[in-house]
Amino acid sequence: MTKQQFIERLRAKLNGLPKKDIDERIAFYIEIIDDKIEEGATEEDAVKQIGSVDEIAEQIIAETPISKIVKEKFKPNRSLQPWEIVLLILGFPLWFPLLISAFSVAISLYVVVWSLIISLWAVFISVMASALGGVVAGLIFVCTAQVSSGLFVLAGALVCAGLGVFAFFGCKYATQGVLALTKNAVVGLKNRLLHKENA
Amino acid sequence: MDIQLKRGLLDVCVLTAIKNEDSYGYKIIKDMKPYIEMSESTLYTILKRLELAKMLTVRSCEHGGRLRKYYHITPLGLRRIAEFKSEWREVTSIYQFVIKGDERQ
Repeated sequence: MTKQQFIERLRAKLNGLPKKDIDERIAFYIEIIDDKIEEGATEEDAVKQIGSVDEIAEQIIAETPISKIVKEKFKPNRSLQPWEIVLLILGFPLWFPLLISAFSVAISLYVVVWSLIISLWAVFISVMASALGGVVAGLIFVCTAQVSSGLFVLAGALVCAGLGVFAFFGCKYATQGVLALTKNAVVGLKNRLLHKENA
Repeated sequence: MDIQLKRGLLDVCVLTAIKNEDSYGYKIIKDMKPYIEMSESTLYTILKRLELAKMLTVRSCEHGGRLRKYYHITPLGLRRIAEFKSEWREVTSIYQFVIKGDERQ
């Protein structure tokens, strides 16, 4: 691959990121390729040493905050026409509430998921608390000569403790799952925003 | 290695590579190579981060009919290296403790 091909492919892959960022990055790679050539490498080798375009692009996109991609995506490519500005202002009572509600729906969905996780943990804590309380109460019953009730309460406490141990793993995996899902969603959203632009 | 720890270490590596004289991308990678291999993309990210943190400044110079960016360390960058050295003493003593604890078993 020649330097020119490398630059063009990388530029195509990064399309959708802010232009200034892309230019700066590419200038950085060009400088290093030129330095390698100056030191005696062939153009082909110099480009090869930099690595594959796909991997580089993937790393760059992973490092770019999603807010930057969104901002770039919705930035108009040209200045707005007067009638567009008028339309934007007149339409404000319509599009602004719609936008806000779309955001609110997305956020509330996410909050719901986390409330589920929190309630799972609450169940875990309460089961464990009953186990502890049961042991204490059971021992008191046994000491105050109510042996049969005491044993019954102790057995209940043991069941709670067992359930609690199971619940702990359930809660843990659910939390990890949601965290992983969040990460994937962000990556997916980034790719979606970028690829739409490429298409 | 822990990603946060590694990031901090690489920052100090790059600062050290430009400590004695201003340097440029390819030379920084070459100078570090005997100790640590770093990809061009990783270096770019680190340089950008250090520039934002005002630990280095950038200037473009002409070289053989093209522009080359030179990186210059600032007092903040020098302080980061000094901090790292004193922090590292603590880390080495923790390391010693861990190694000895392992041997005792």
